[in-house]
Amino acid sequence: MTESGTQLKAAPVNGTPVEGIVKRQASVITWVASRGIFIFTGVLLVFSVIFVNGFASSVNIIDVFHRASAIGIVAIGMTFVVISANYIDLSVVAQVATAGVILLALSPTYGVLGAMAIALFFALLYGVVNGVSVGFLKANAVVVTLGTTGIGAGILSLLTTGTIYYGPENGPIDAFGDARVGPFPLSAFVLILVAVIASIVLSRTKFGFMIRSYGSNKQATRLAGVNSGGVVVGAFVLTSIAAMIAGFVLAAYSNTAVATMSEGFDFRALAAVIIGGNSLFGGRGSILRTFLGVIFISVLSNILVLSGFSFAWQQLVTGAVIVFAVALDALARKAEKR
Amino acid sequence: MRNSRTVLVSVFAVAGLALSGCASGGTDDAGAASADGYNVYALLPQGNDQPYGTNYLKAMNAAAAEMGVNLTITNAEYDAAKQANECSVAIASKPDGIILWPAAVDTIRPCLEAAKAAGIPVNASNSDVLPEDKDLVGTYTGPSNEEVGRGAAKLIGDVLGDAGGSIIIIQGLSGNSTAIDREAGFRDELEASYPNVEVIGQQPGDWAKDVALTVTSELFTSLGEENIDAIYAVDDTMAAGAIEAMENRGIDPTTIPVVGTGNTELGQPNVLSGKQYATLFQSPVWDGENAVKYIVEAIEGNTLEANYFMPIPEVTKENAADYPAEW
Amino acid sequence: MSTTMKLQETQTGTWNRVKNAVARRTEGRAVILLILVVGVIAVQQPIVFNAYGVSLARVALVGLVALGLTLVVLQGELDLSVGSTLALTGVVVASIPDLGLGIIAGLVTGVAIGALNAFLIVLIGVNSFIATLGTLFALRGLAFVMSDGRPVRITDIDSALVFGRELLGPITPRVLIFILLFVMLQFFISKMRAGREFYAVGGNRQAAIDAGIPVKLRLFTSFMLCGFVAALAGVINTLELTAADPTAGSTVLLASFAAVIIGGNLLNGGRGSLVGTLIGAFALGLMQVGLTFAGADREVQDVLIGIVLLVAITTDPNNLRALSRRLQGLIRGKANQQA
Repeated sequence: MTESGTQLKAAPVNGTPVEGIVKRQASVITWVASRGIFIFTGVLLVFSVIFVNGFASSVNIIDVFHRASAIGIVAIGMTFVVISANYIDLSVVAQVATAGVILLALSPTYGVLGAMAIALFFALLYGVVNGVSVGFLKANAVVVTLGTTGIGAGILSLLTTGTIYYGPENGPIDAFGDARVGPFPLSAFVLILVAVIASIVLSRTKFGFMIRSYGSNKQATRLAGVNSGGVVVGAFVLTSIAAMIAGFVLAAYSNTAVATMSEGFDFRALAAVIIGGNSLFGGRGSILRTFLGVIFISVLSNILVLSGFSFAWQQLVTGAVIVFAVALDALARKAEKR
Repeated sequence: MRNSRTVLVSVFAVAGLALSGCASGGTDDAGAASADGYNVYALLPQGNDQPYGTNYLKAMNAAAAEMGVNLTITNAEYDAAKQANECSVAIASKPDGIILWPAAVDTIRPCLEAAKAAGIPVNASNSDVLPEDKDLVGTYTGPSNEEVGRGAAKLIGDVLGDAGGSIIIIQGLSGNSTAIDREAGFRDELEASYPNVEVIGQQPGDWAKDVALTVTSELFTSLGEENIDAIYAVDDTMAAGAIEAMENRGIDPTTIPVVGTGNTELGQPNVLSGKQYATLFQSPVWDGENAVKYIVEAIEGNTLEANYFMPIPEVTKENAADYPAEW
Repeated sequence: MSTTMKLQETQTGTWNRVKNAVARRTEGRAVILLILVVGVIAVQQPIVFNAYGVSLARVALVGLVALGLTLVVLQGELDLSVGSTLALTGVVVASIPDLGLGIIAGLVTGVAIGALNAFLIVLIGVNSFIATLGTLFALRGLAFVMSDGRPVRITDIDSALVFGRELLGPITPRVLIFILLFVMLQFFISKMRAGREFYAVGGNRQAAIDAGIPVKLRLFTSFMLCGFVAALAGVINTLELTAADPTAGSTVLLASFAAVIIGGNLLNGGRGSLVGTLIGAFALGLMQVGLTFAGADREVQDVLIGIVLLVAITTDPNNLRALSRRLQGLIRGKANQQA
């Protein structure tokens, strides 16, 4: 396949014309793929507002945000792992539930802040164990996090024996879960705040730069003298902190927490990251893309329910969307190479 | 190189031995019948991973201790293939009796036949076997999830009266047999006795309050608040979510009757305050105790009735205080 | 400090040749785990050996799927959709009244799913992790749609029940099929050129292309075989249970993946073996059955498997070698500074 390229003369440098630079005319596929998520989310929103009854009501917008908040925070954290070319952190499932349960079960004894501190300790523990295994012991992230989630979820289940913890009615946690700023739930602001901070870390800090370069080219980064093990640990720790915050948000939403509360979070969060257009091969991507991926998936689930689709169809559609999104991304990368 | 590997392996070896020791230390293994009591295997699809299961187990263990029964318990997590394998383990251990709470009733016939061939009496607990397999079990003790569903339908039908109305169902976890059976019983009873009640929407709440909250709100948005006359939530946890969804939208929950199931710690306060119209009291304690009681009867060869049904009283504001919130 | 280099003399003699051959093998950790598990069981729960049919049955199902998965992993790819393939195939088999036709339809479904995965991965270029993740969701949704969310019973129950009955001693048809398939696949991967080339594709894909190996064809073959094997597992599972459960397969995915890893197969491809997977499946299966006989909580089983997995993946001999070299280098460097 020859690209439809045109030979352009580049702008003169120091007065001397530079010849021979071929500017590739971007093929349609590349263009759509790179801006895909922006277009698709926009189209979906417009479609929903016009055709789906009740979508645009303030009550429903709140529901969409509720769908988006906890998963979104996890997805934003997971973006760091994906960009560092480590595929996924499967242990977010255990981490979210651990944080939520600790918050509700321990705040009567230690107070809300005390419980949060304990939850932070465990989040850091997860992050360090995952990060060291993958970054220093060079083990595969999928298997390591599969192991840590099995261990973590098993221990949590043993300790809680299936109890559903609930906070006192109208206690501080319940109040947080019900609080609104204007028409938006407070959790939406937590989501946006986390997104903004993560975005700054990823694009403006040296650490973010190191993650991106490591994901792009592990060898080169290491040869450049970067402590690549430390970079990976950092990525996993950030994911764990995000998972912890998501656990708090989820627990506050319903004022309940149980060991099984975060089932499926690992793949759903990854789906949001991927649909946003972040490459699974690492190195490329942004928090904004993840954020849009989260919005896209939440709106999609929401309108499927509003339109009366059963659970089975929802699964089918989600899977098809994932496949379509990544197929597009893959085709685009192929087109770029030619 | 070999050194570090050996060290690692030895560390793991010690850990593995220690953990296996812990794991098997607490329970007796079901060998031949020992002089100090019957050996019984309990094949369950849930355990300490669900509040119902936790209390069922507590009651079961208490009854077993009282009767001098040695219990070995499994948890197949609603995986039919896993339970089939656990059934083989059970039969190979040659216990005096087996309590079976099926993970999926359509798939347990091979297990029942194998037990019969080995001469081990089997009783069904909590979820009854299919009619064609009834002759393979001694008896059934439990609530019958279909009965529970029917009871809920009666509550909804009666509160809506002759005029009937439109209702929504907040379903349990997709593919879960308890959820399927309760909903089936509910719909059958509606069709049979309350033709004026129509189900206009349903979504799974996954037994979780937050999921139920979100989907209830979305159902209200999609169907219109004025079109929903009542809600059937397949358990009290989801009922609590549905109620909170209504409150968040400014709807007074007493104007739209919500029927749940279980009389749980989350449900009972809602019923007492009137926010939840009614629930059905399903006692995991009764369930666990009687599973043990009747397997002992079966082992001792006493004649058994076909079924020992758990009473499922309707619980409303008036009588909620009489029934303990067991789970 | 000595700077002379000593040439390593190649050791000859049968014993040394055996030592070298063993050192190159990847199944080491699986063997160690198996010995450990067997040892602990012999001491604590000897009944597991008396009732070996139970363990064989468990190993057969998980091992079957793991064997198919190994073929894909050897080429450096992943297939996460095996669990959903198992479930969907079961639904297909149960939904067709004629059992024979149903089984054929089920197996064809598996091959078709494998081809679909391969199409996405090989021809469109999607990363195999994410492609099979998508098919995992989509196929499970399809299984739910086709079965209306509840188990589908086989029409001809009596024939199905026969399948679950024992043939030789405690050996059921399931175990025989597993052994047969292992033998066939092992022959394919070690004696047939097409199979041996799997290692080349996984080891260095570009080199394989340059060497003239039809890489795309090999990839398609592995995914279709993997799908076929997963479908076979679905057929067996459905026949033995006399009903198809649309939620089946998720635990099998994790267990077979664990067996592949413990068996020493490298996820980047190129190294590993079916034998390793077999040993890994045995070790895991025995461990699970042993724990069940002992009445251990399900959570304890999960935690133990998690630990085994973690230890297995972090103790890859290559990685440890690299790590220890770096540490030695560090220490030597410090020693030099002080000297």
